[in-house]
Amino acid sequence: MKPAPFDYYCPRSLDEALALLAQYGDEAKVLAGGQSLVPAMNMRLARPGVIVDVNRLPEAAVIERCDGSLRVGMLARQADLERMPVALDAVPLLAQALPHVGHWQTRNRGTVCGSLAHADPSAELPLAIVVLDGAIEARSSARGTRWIAAGQFFESYFQTALQNDEIVVGASFPARREGWGYAFEEFAGRHGDFAIVAVACAVALEPNGVASEVRLGLGGVADKPHLAPLTAYCGRVLSQRDLPEIANAAVADIEPPSDLRGSARYRRALATNLAQRALTRALASARTACDGLAQ
Amino acid sequence: MSQPVLGAPLDRVEGPGKVTGRIAYTADNDIPGMVHAVVVESTIANGRIAAIDESAARSAPGVIAIMTPRNAPRVDARKVDANDSLLFLLQGDAVEFDRQPVAVAIAETFEQATYAARLVRVRYDVRPPTTALASGERFLPDQIFGKPAQHKRGMPEDAFARAAVTLKQTYRTPTEHHNPMETHATIAQWTGDRLTIYDATQWVFGVQHRLAATFGIDPKAIRVVAPFVGGAFGCKGQTWSHVPLAAMAARLAGRPVKLVVTRPQMFGWVGHRPQTEQVVGLGAARDGTLAAVTHDVLSETSMSDEFVEPSVVFSRDLYAVPNYAMSDTLSRLNISKPTYQRGPGESTGSFAMESAMDELSYALGIDPLELRLRNYSANDPDSGKPYSSKRLRECYAAAAAQFGWSARNPKVRSTSRGRMLVGSGMATASRATHRSPCTVRMRMNADGNVLVQCGTIEQGTGTPTVYPQLAAEILEIPPERVRFEFGNTDLPAAPIAAGSQTSGSVGSAVVVAARRMRELLVSHDGKPPADGFEVELEDSPPPEEAEHATQAFGAHFAEVEVDPDLGTVRVTRFVGAFDGGRILNAKTARSQMLGGIVWGISMALFEDTRYDARSGRIMNANLSEYLVPTNADIPDVEVILIAGDDPFANPAGAKGIGEVGICGSAAAVANAVYHATGIRIRDLPITPDKLIR
Repeated sequence: MKPAPFDYYCPRSLDEALALLAQYGDEAKVLAGGQSLVPAMNMRLARPGVIVDVNRLPEAAVIERCDGSLRVGMLARQADLERMPVALDAVPLLAQALPHVGHWQTRNRGTVCGSLAHADPSAELPLAIVVLDGAIEARSSARGTRWIAAGQFFESYFQTALQNDEIVVGASFPARREGWGYAFEEFAGRHGDFAIVAVACAVALEPNGVASEVRLGLGGVADKPHLAPLTAYCGRVLSQRDLPEIANAAVADIEPPSDLRGSARYRRALATNLAQRALTRALASARTACDGLAQ
Repeated sequence: MSQPVLGAPLDRVEGPGKVTGRIAYTADNDIPGMVHAVVVESTIANGRIAAIDESAARSAPGVIAIMTPRNAPRVDARKVDANDSLLFLLQGDAVEFDRQPVAVAIAETFEQATYAARLVRVRYDVRPPTTALASGERFLPDQIFGKPAQHKRGMPEDAFARAAVTLKQTYRTPTEHHNPMETHATIAQWTGDRLTIYDATQWVFGVQHRLAATFGIDPKAIRVVAPFVGGAFGCKGQTWSHVPLAAMAARLAGRPVKLVVTRPQMFGWVGHRPQTEQVVGLGAARDGTLAAVTHDVLSETSMSDEFVEPSVVFSRDLYAVPNYAMSDTLSRLNISKPTYQRGPGESTGSFAMESAMDELSYALGIDPLELRLRNYSANDPDSGKPYSSKRLRECYAAAAAQFGWSARNPKVRSTSRGRMLVGSGMATASRATHRSPCTVRMRMNADGNVLVQCGTIEQGTGTPTVYPQLAAEILEIPPERVRFEFGNTDLPAAPIAAGSQTSGSVGSAVVVAARRMRELLVSHDGKPPADGFEVELEDSPPPEEAEHATQAFGAHFAEVEVDPDLGTVRVTRFVGAFDGGRILNAKTARSQMLGGIVWGISMALFEDTRYDARSGRIMNANLSEYLVPTNADIPDVEVILIAGDDPFANPAGAKGIGEVGICGSAAAVANAVYHATGIRIRDLPITPDKLIR
């Protein structure tokens, strides 16, 4: 389990890192936490010719709240976020999703932005940012900074809208808003394994109990996080009785894969059950949030 | 002495050395001038090697030689007897299974050899592989361990046809790989025509004789050393291809060679438990009395060898059934040769038979434990011989009481804990134990210290702790004054450490030698002379021992929680009670049972080697996707030892206990899953998807 030979660069500034990416293009890979890239290299599933190690960049580990969002810098470790109560309070869905990301040990190294850039279709953080309708900040030396909406960022298995010369410098997760409730559910063969199916859900209620938004995303069922089309259930008062129907609607158009971890049939059944659980919890937490408002 | 020595839960003498890393396993040894060999395995499961391009590998740094069918020394790869295997020693171009050795890279360092192995380019003529049990060519083997492949007692067809209640079901168990912590490893050194081998093996003498046949040299010219073996469970019972390959590489390189099998290669040529398809038929009266049992087994074997998984042994030798029929059919597949894996036969056979008994109990509305008691057999039902000892009734009673079996609601899907469905199940454990001739040498020095020498091995079972304990008991000295030397072919010959026979074989030889030494001591007024005493003897089972059937028994009780939404199964409690005859060391015996139960849970829920039907390649040849349990998967397991002498089994009075723990434990879990959910899973493992309908 040794990687194929590669050239190693350890830039000390973002400009230097971006220049390297511009120079080497698709030969280069960015090394941040390395929790996905390095195993893939060791198994020779990935053979990058050039590694650009961004761990020494000075500015990049920031986590801060600004303008109704939580901004997470490129080198913020998953565990940094997990150990920051203010951040978890700001984005409750992340608080629920993070414990499912790998293991405690891998979260100490793995970065939030790295997980987004890696774009594993069963990963938790891409699913969360899609359901929250967040955005990813990419930068290149040639074109500067651009923001990419999460819904457009993930394209397919390990494929994103990033260009070869671009690097993810940050991600923005919309913070908790009034009347919203959130839930994250996941099933994996062993804790810390890739999810067989993961579900993230966000529900917004008006003070009168009408659901103004129902967002539900599924991980592990397609080549990227799948956002279920549930607008038909907005503008209604939702009760527990409606949830099986919504869960069925959420999985209606998925075509999950079959592999060693589970058949398509099993994934569909899991997705339905987990969607129902997530909807139940998200709705309950939205109601609590509304009650809090009423008082 | 205040405390009895025998049976005392003494700590393992080698334990501190093992946990602090001071003990050297085979691969931990280094010989001056030694180089490293890495096996290149096939990437197809059926076909021929069309060409090998080793030019890039040959010019890689540190490379000494690339051994291929072109330049490999000519050796004899054929099997030496019916239980042996054809070896894959680069003598031809045929490829019969995925990960068959096709070349060996030899280099100065392990890393260089690994790199060079990757540079070897092999081109194949590929033929479609057959890896599905149903698709292989079927045949009845000539024999199963000396017995016919079909056997009958009474009139099974008539009895089955006339029975008030009948049940016939098909049960499946998958291919399972042993995966001991220590992978196989061999170090080979030639000194002229003399060969020294360090090997991770269950039988140093087996390796010696196999290599003598392979190289056409005198066994006496071969010295085999197995320093410590880091788990084996059957896969280190045979001499597999890498052992002679290491010696061939050493000859080619002209230097000592170390060859360590990698974890993915553990799914290659070193054996596995074969998949089985078992049809069990039960015919019974309304009161549950069995009138007929049929057990027909289809299991896989490789293209060049016949290995039979003797699953039928369990149903044949346990319950009082007058009418019985069995058959063993093999299916030839593009797989490596299957082999013994802990509890060969009974582990797989007990899943089928004890699941079927559970199904019968629900069909009749009789408590599963009561059904077993109604069919309790005082004698071996097949041979009619009395058992050397049988405390199975006591096992049932003790385990059931500890588990709280009587408090169970017998109705399926009747119990829940929060949203979890709760169920409990039980199964019988039974495993034949054996005894083979064994030689020991015992020396008592003038100071009264004793050295016992025997060429058996230590594979984690407690060999250097337990046999001194046994000798000390007879000699009436503290066990720390007895030292046990083991693990090489210079020592007196011992049988293979397998088949639950080491306590019976080595233990009995130690007992007989110690008794003789005690007589010598008595005749010298309790004091050894200045040059000490020495006793060397070969102990063999006397003919009268065959008048009894010797089996270890037990009873398993499992409780599970099943998540009805996700299909996940968690074993929440497990109680096992066992009759292993005389217990030599309560701690090592308990560990054997614990290990067996853990593996049974693993068999029930996790282990499953999967072949890609198109390529015939194994899809999960790693410990990430081939699941084994972690501590979090295993509940508190309670082990009860129903200890007692067995005067007819052997002089040690001990029945083998290395395997009985795994026999029946998977069935107990499967039966508990049925009780919890009302869903009967007849094909292992019980993965969540099978419980979501």
